[in-house]
Amino acid sequence: MSSSSPPATSNEPLDTTIAVVTPENIAFKYQLAGPFRRLPAYLIDVAVRWIVMILFIVVMMFTGSMVDIRFMSPFIVAAGFILNFVVSWFYGTLFETYFNGRTIGKWATGIRVIDVDGRPIDGKRALIRNLLRVADLAPMAAPSTFGADDVPPMLFIPTAMIGLTTILFTRRMQRLGDLAAGTMVIVDERGWQLPVAKVDDPRVPALASFIPGDYRISRSMARTLAIYTERRHFLTPARRREVAKHLTNPLLDRFEFRRDVDPDLLMYALYYQAFLAEPSAELPDMGPLAGYSPLAKDANKPTGFTPTNETTNIDPTTPSTTVAAEPQI
Amino acid sequence: MKVASLLDRRRAQWNELERLCGAMENRGRTDGSGPPEHRGARGIARFSSLYRSACADLALADAYQLPPATVAYLHQLVARAHNQLYRAKKFNPSSWVDVVFREAPQQIFADPCVRVATLIFFGLFSLSMYLGYNETMFPGFASAMVGSEQLDAVEEMYEEPLSGSLDHYVQMAGFYINHNTGIGLKCFAYGILILPCVFILAYNAISLGTIFGYMAREDVTGSDNFFHFVTAHGPFELTAIALSAAAGLRLGIGLFRTGGLTRSDSIRLSAQKAIPIMAASVVLFVLAAFTEGFLSPSPAPYLFKAGWAIMSSGMISFYFVVLGFPSQTRSVGYFSKQTIDWDSDTEGVPDPLATDPLATDPLATGPLATGPTKGVIDAT
Repeated sequence: MSSSSPPATSNEPLDTTIAVVTPENIAFKYQLAGPFRRLPAYLIDVAVRWIVMILFIVVMMFTGSMVDIRFMSPFIVAAGFILNFVVSWFYGTLFETYFNGRTIGKWATGIRVIDVDGRPIDGKRALIRNLLRVADLAPMAAPSTFGADDVPPMLFIPTAMIGLTTILFTRRMQRLGDLAAGTMVIVDERGWQLPVAKVDDPRVPALASFIPGDYRISRSMARTLAIYTERRHFLTPARRREVAKHLTNPLLDRFEFRRDVDPDLLMYALYYQAFLAEPSAELPDMGPLAGYSPLAKDANKPTGFTPTNETTNIDPTTPSTTVAAEPQI
Repeated sequence: MKVASLLDRRRAQWNELERLCGAMENRGRTDGSGPPEHRGARGIARFSSLYRSACADLALADAYQLPPATVAYLHQLVARAHNQLYRAKKFNPSSWVDVVFREAPQQIFADPCVRVATLIFFGLFSLSMYLGYNETMFPGFASAMVGSEQLDAVEEMYEEPLSGSLDHYVQMAGFYINHNTGIGLKCFAYGILILPCVFILAYNAISLGTIFGYMAREDVTGSDNFFHFVTAHGPFELTAIALSAAAGLRLGIGLFRTGGLTRSDSIRLSAQKAIPIMAASVVLFVLAAFTEGFLSPSPAPYLFKAGWAIMSSGMISFYFVVLGFPSQTRSVGYFSKQTIDWDSDTEGVPDPLATDPLATDPLATGPLATGPTKGVIDAT
């Protein structure tokens, strides 16, 4: 079972993702959910369990006041006990089995339980991991041990130290119940729109057309460009230029461009060249920029713009290039 | 081919796969109201071919220099489809019958943890029962162990003869299911940490044993009523406590005795072994709860209750020993093999054919068995 997942090697990136290898021999990645997502989910579940019990009691009291059910009352009390038993021990099991690995709390916080092989969990696994939650919540802390004498002695607070420690020390962030059941908790991202940055600034294809044809964009360069364009609108314009210039300065020399070409725009042009440009595509209408050339040898060629004017125009404080969909981080 | 046009081409298929995934997540089957190629068997075929092409896209994503966000999207899409394709089985009631009546007794019979837990529980139980009973030799043991207030409370509780009404029975059965089975499940869960489980087991054994011993003294009021109450459900409940602790210990031992497996594999395997034992224990707890709710507090004659206790003990023994006796060794192959071995051993004749593995192998003695092999069987 675990043999299908790749072994942990030291050169794996230090990350909270886990790769699952399918029978199609594809490794896809899940993002693991850590304690800061799982604790709110658990608290919501505890609240839901309480609400169910309180609702039962309220409804029964209400019906009791409406009609005379004295004959039924022992059955109702017994039903209450059994409901309490089922809800407190099998709430998670039932939900995770029939609600695709989610409880209400997990659904609300966007996490899900799956098998370590990446499959949805079955009833037996859900049962094991939910029964063992008690051990993961151990040790119990009684407030009276900390000097709080006025609280009832039966009140215990689970510290969950055992589960927390195991989550920290296992590669898949599993608590003891997860280890025994062979499950893991993953982030269930539901953002399904496709994020491809679109470029609709006419200057970008124009600048891209000046990139020499013999320049091949390497794979790592393509990746860098994609990450840059996805992240750039989180940065201030000054910061963008600062980040981009380390990469573009050598390229300016290589392409024999003018030194005052905006690094951010050049990055975008490269991105356009790598991902979007069709070889046969027509150049878009350049408008007032027609005839402008970024090449260093053309620096003194008369155009409609002076270099200073051109830089302010290209200055991305008002980004005319837009990103079609919000990139997912 | 540039990425944008490639994505545009593939995107239609990805969207289609997403729609199928959504339909399968919501209704558990392919889209009944969608286009005809999404319905029924055709939908499944369409889904799997779309899934495979998405897998191929993911594999080629790096070569195509797809942007990381698109690769992340493909990871999610493939994961989502994978979950729908490789579904897990939900609860299967018939398999649980098999778990309780076949797997559990076999596991209980074979598992040393059961022996350890039973020994701890019933050993401490009888020891403290004796110590609590024998006031002259061990004065003050009972009150030191469970406290004199609780002893007085137990005495007071059983002063009156048992006469519960039906109203009382039903709620008490519910209460015992909730309370006692809860303790059993807690004991099981703590088993993975071993020490808390052993503590709960020993604590229950000592306190129950002491109360039993104390109530068995001649000078204690209400002792008749006490035994009237506990006899009927005792066998079920005490066995269930020991069993749940045994299941828990099986989990905890798996954490330390890995037997050559990795620690996580070992703990997973021991959980698989522990679950049938725990299931049997829950069944016993529920039986005990109904007995304790309905039969124990009723004013039925003691003989009937004792008969019930004997019958339940007999049922448990049958369950553990007869159903639990290792079944592989009772197969026909076992006996035939034994016969052949016994035959060649006692006669001591160096049979030249005995060295031939085909002749001694019972599996080889099919309908086409040769003469000498047949002769061996005839000789028995």
